[in-house]
Amino acid sequence: MPSFLKDFFNRNGTLMGSLMLGLVLFWTVGLIILPQLSMLDFSFRPNLPPPEIGGPKDVYTLENYKYLVFGPEGGSQDYNAVDLKVFFRTLVAAVCVTIFNLILCYPIAYYLGQTKGNHIRILALMLIIPYWINEILRAFALRIIFGESGVLNTILVGSGIFDTPFDFIRNDIALYAGLGYAYILLMIFPIYNVIESLDHNQIEAARDLGAPWWRIHKRVVIPYAKPGISSGCTMVFMLSAGALAAPQILGGPSSLWFTQLIYQQFNDNSDWPQGAAYAVVLLVTCILLVLAVMRLFKVNMGDIGK
Amino acid sequence: MNNSIIRISIWVYLAIFFIYLLGPLVIMSITAFNSPSFPRATPWECLTFEWFSALFQDERILNGIKNSILVGIGTIILSVSMGLAGALMLTQIWPKLRATYYTIIIAPILIPGVVLGISTLVFWDRINRMLGLGADSFLSNGLFLTIIGQSTFIASYCMLVLVARLQRYDLALTEAALDLGATHAQAFRKILLPFMRPALASAAVLAFLASFENYNTTTFTFGEYPTLTIELAQKVRYGITPAISALAFMIVVLTVFAALFNEANIKRKEVIAKARKEGATVGDVTSGVKLPGFFTGNAAAITLVVFAVATIAVIGTATVYSPKQCIANVQEQKRLETQKRIQELRDQRKRDAEAAGQAGGATGAAKPSNNSGFGGVFAPGTLQGGDQGTAPADDAGSSNNSGFGGVFAPNNINGADN
Repeated sequence: MPSFLKDFFNRNGTLMGSLMLGLVLFWTVGLIILPQLSMLDFSFRPNLPPPEIGGPKDVYTLENYKYLVFGPEGGSQDYNAVDLKVFFRTLVAAVCVTIFNLILCYPIAYYLGQTKGNHIRILALMLIIPYWINEILRAFALRIIFGESGVLNTILVGSGIFDTPFDFIRNDIALYAGLGYAYILLMIFPIYNVIESLDHNQIEAARDLGAPWWRIHKRVVIPYAKPGISSGCTMVFMLSAGALAAPQILGGPSSLWFTQLIYQQFNDNSDWPQGAAYAVVLLVTCILLVLAVMRLFKVNMGDIGK
Repeated sequence: MNNSIIRISIWVYLAIFFIYLLGPLVIMSITAFNSPSFPRATPWECLTFEWFSALFQDERILNGIKNSILVGIGTIILSVSMGLAGALMLTQIWPKLRATYYTIIIAPILIPGVVLGISTLVFWDRINRMLGLGADSFLSNGLFLTIIGQSTFIASYCMLVLVARLQRYDLALTEAALDLGATHAQAFRKILLPFMRPALASAAVLAFLASFENYNTTTFTFGEYPTLTIELAQKVRYGITPAISALAFMIVVLTVFAALFNEANIKRKEVIAKARKEGATVGDVTSGVKLPGFFTGNAAAITLVVFAVATIAVIGTATVYSPKQCIANVQEQKRLETQKRIQELRDQRKRDAEAAGQAGGATGAAKPSNNSGFGGVFAPGTLQGGDQGTAPADDAGSSNNSGFGGVFAPNNINGADN
């Protein structure tokens, strides 16, 4: 038995130590690492009926990845324009949602973090309450508002701004509003946590030295809040790129989200390897994008989740 | 001066923000009480409670709630224990491994839920095949897969909550217990666990809420056990009814209740602590209106009670109130309106026809290009009529007549021509 393992059992006792080790190993290896590797392995295999799995036809192939880029074999187009377009649109839209949320939430997080008083507790409570309510129901609420005969259209037509109801759903406005709405809290709390610990005297000092408000933010608050900002942005980006409920409920009939393609591969086409390949592409692209941006802004991975 | 502008703009911003945040929920709640079968807040028709009874008669929703609770309990047990083990391990692990270990256990929060669901499904399907079990073994059971899939990332949330508390734990306490002859298990149960209890409670609540509302992972793993969220998603995708608003409204009310209750409790503890510090009884701290125990100086508690009374009042009204008369009225009104509209349309058409007839009569021959606006009824004869003047006018007139059904007497056109 290696010495560090012996130390570990000495410190925790044999029973507690093995229980702890067992749970941690089950979680990290059995639930996190192996399933991901298994999905990766699966994505390189052809779609076979169950009896043929493990048989001679079950060999590694790049077919599923080729399908995403080039489309079905012998297809009329050079590239799989439909799926690739959906993929890039999803990424761009997720970036836009992240930026929108950052702009929307930064002032709120700053205000909550730097203001003292009883009303802050109430505001924080009002922030949390919508997040105890089901994701589906939040999307549903927005659909009531943005629908053809929804509240917003009634108001807009009633007040004479528009002559005819505007189709928010077909134009994806409902979808973007819904995605932004869904992840506000995940943006506010990391930023709030960091800004709350910023000494207000620093801001006072900057002000006394004659800095205008925008320079105070640029030079004092934002550099200090960077871990929180990057943590919030990472979470919002990953979750909105991987969102499924909001696009299904609020998306227009002609526009798809990449996760919906994955869902279709699994549930409608029952082509699991193809779906797994798409999922791998989504996961790897998102991680690479996040790492690149973190490198660009010089943030560490350890700051996430604080 | 400048300051007050900033202050006002802050409040305006806050107001807009919270309207964006809470407005949808308020509007959705309103639609639960409106009678049209498509959820809408405007136009308001009748106050009704029928959507609540429709909700309680929906077998699938009830079944979904049952499954959600089962999954929730399983997820709490698995993810809180894994989270606790993970958090304890983080304090002890070999320093060189710590960063890697932390990245691994934090990663599930960032992995899209869809990916987690797929990987869980694929992995356990493979294990199932490797063990040579059939499609009905517990490894491919929806309940098992959902709990496993959700726990993967919910355990990370639990770990974060527990680590925060664990950082304030004094390891000397455990050592003292061990020195005094306790076994490791006893020290864990009697020293560490009581210390961690508040954090364990909040981790459990968090785990349940996260499990209850999860859709992305569950949608791949649920199998034969659709949870409430899955049922809701299917309902919302294929036709929405105000019964869903009713469910949402109840969840909102429960949430507000829980939040107020929690807030009231915290306030109460604060008040008591303050009172103890100043050596006075609770009653002395709040001068003025004296309320018994729970309420003293506690706005949240008072709101809670007001809210509870309002809820009971609403439920009371709901049991005796019948919107039938109102709905009948609205239907009658709608019928009348429709009739009126049809009548108006008829009148309109008639008037149009007359006007067109006159206009056509007045200008028909003189400006032939206008005629084409009446949609092809005008034969080339009209053009001729316009071009050649009086001679073929009768001819043109007769072809016009067919289009307007008798309004357009040949005399008219003759008159116009002359």
